[in-house]
Amino acid sequence: MTDDYDVPEDETAYECGYCGRPFAREEWLALHRGLDHPAQLDDEQVAAFRAAHDAEESTLGNFRLRALGALVIIYFCLLMIYALV
Amino acid sequence: MTTRRRRVVGWLAGAVSLLLAAGTVSAHGGSLAGGGRESITVPTWLFLSTGGAAVGASFLLASFVTDRSFIHRIHNWGAPLTVSDSRLPGVLARGVGLAGYVTVLVIGFFGPPTPRTNLAILLVWVGWWAGLAMTTYLIGNTWRTLNPLDTIALVLPSLDRTYPDRAGAWPSVVSLLALIWLEVVSPLADDPQLLATAIVGYSVLTLSGAVVFGRETWFAEADPVERVFRYYGRVAPIGYDERGLRLRLPGMDLSTPRLVDGRDEVAFIVALLWGTTFDGLVTTPTWRDLMAPLVGAGVPPHVLYPLALVVGFGLFLGAYWLAVRLSCRLTDTYLGADTVAKRFAPPLLAIAAGYHFAHYLGYFLVVAPALWVALLSPLSDPGAVPIYEPPGWFAGVGIAAVVVGHLVAIWVAHAAAYDTFPSRIQAIRSQYPFIAVMVFYTMTSLWVISRPEVSLPYL
Repeated sequence: MTDDYDVPEDETAYECGYCGRPFAREEWLALHRGLDHPAQLDDEQVAAFRAAHDAEESTLGNFRLRALGALVIIYFCLLMIYALV
Repeated sequence: MTTRRRRVVGWLAGAVSLLLAAGTVSAHGGSLAGGGRESITVPTWLFLSTGGAAVGASFLLASFVTDRSFIHRIHNWGAPLTVSDSRLPGVLARGVGLAGYVTVLVIGFFGPPTPRTNLAILLVWVGWWAGLAMTTYLIGNTWRTLNPLDTIALVLPSLDRTYPDRAGAWPSVVSLLALIWLEVVSPLADDPQLLATAIVGYSVLTLSGAVVFGRETWFAEADPVERVFRYYGRVAPIGYDERGLRLRLPGMDLSTPRLVDGRDEVAFIVALLWGTTFDGLVTTPTWRDLMAPLVGAGVPPHVLYPLALVVGFGLFLGAYWLAVRLSCRLTDTYLGADTVAKRFAPPLLAIAAGYHFAHYLGYFLVVAPALWVALLSPLSDPGAVPIYEPPGWFAGVGIAAVVVGHLVAIWVAHAAAYDTFPSRIQAIRSQYPFIAVMVFYTMTSLWVISRPEVSLPYL
């Protein structure tokens, strides 16, 4: 990897044991290990990946609802404006 | 199953609203093509907000796709193409390029002086800058082989001096801006002799660079034209990747991390995008009104053009880097800003290609018959040349190209974000500032399109 990292000195970083990439949160590290080094993981790390992945689903569900709401608002606002102008 | 169905319904609903938005724009947007702009029947602010909203809405739509393997499948879709071992096509292509080059120079200096019938003008602007560039992002990059200067440099000796690493792509950024400036302020499209002289000057510069630093290095790093075509070629469905020559979905190569490897190359992409906007900006009445008091105060107009070019470029580049910083902060990532900047610059190429297509397709179709007539009688002036009249619905093609360019860019940036960040929410969040920047670029360009066109002031 040729990526450069920029870790603030007063922050804790969770470093990937396989490639050294640092993360701000432990779940992100778990997700990263599952996505980028799937063949090398032990059972515990696989379980951590699954847990992090599932935990994200509910946040994503929330996001989708809000995105759909935003789409509807954009659409109807434009519709109304075009009807009036 | 239910999530999939929900996803499909989301896509359909969004696609319809987007089509409606795009349809509204095309109904009122006037003509992008052929340089002619019509007046708009909706207020400008509404036209601009519709364009901006279309970009924002397509981002929201893309964010519904959270299935990594689906994104991966789309981006990996493709078929390997066999490369012929024969050297004949390459040699032929080099011959064609060289013949075109000699023709442009000879006809430029000795051909008929009227721009509409001079083969040099038509070959450069219609055949090459409109036609060949369009095939580059629609099919694949052939300029690498056609490039006559590359062919000439093959037989020249090389001093093989080391190209300074720190210079990188910066010479090509500067010379791209210089070419844009030259193209805007000088009558290169009207005066065949001037065009031929400019090409001789550019050739001398390029060939000396190739002799000093080596042909490969010069064309890979410092030559702006080669770089423009190489970058446009990455939007194309046919191109080389690490597995050889492949056919793939257009634009999907832009999500790979290997395309841009430094701030210099990020700057080049932004310069390419800004160039298409600047071209139109200087022919708006607003630019004329802005210049009038400055020229009245004694500022020479010849300083104002390059100044505006550089300031605008700085503004576009600054907006991009601001988005990079915001994106880093929003996602709480420990990736360096440079890494993030490199990942999300290539999608902008799809937007640049969309604008190029919108600008030049009409121009190409209108003047192509004249190019054909001039090809048949290069030295005699045929007097009247045929002109193709595009049908009325043609204006919509330009707007559609702009919209499609943005859709591809948003999708590719989405895929790049999924590749960069392990968390899906993080990936979506990383795109907020970039979408804001894209909305800003779109609204700027749409605003330029919506202004009536006036001749360049003070030139």
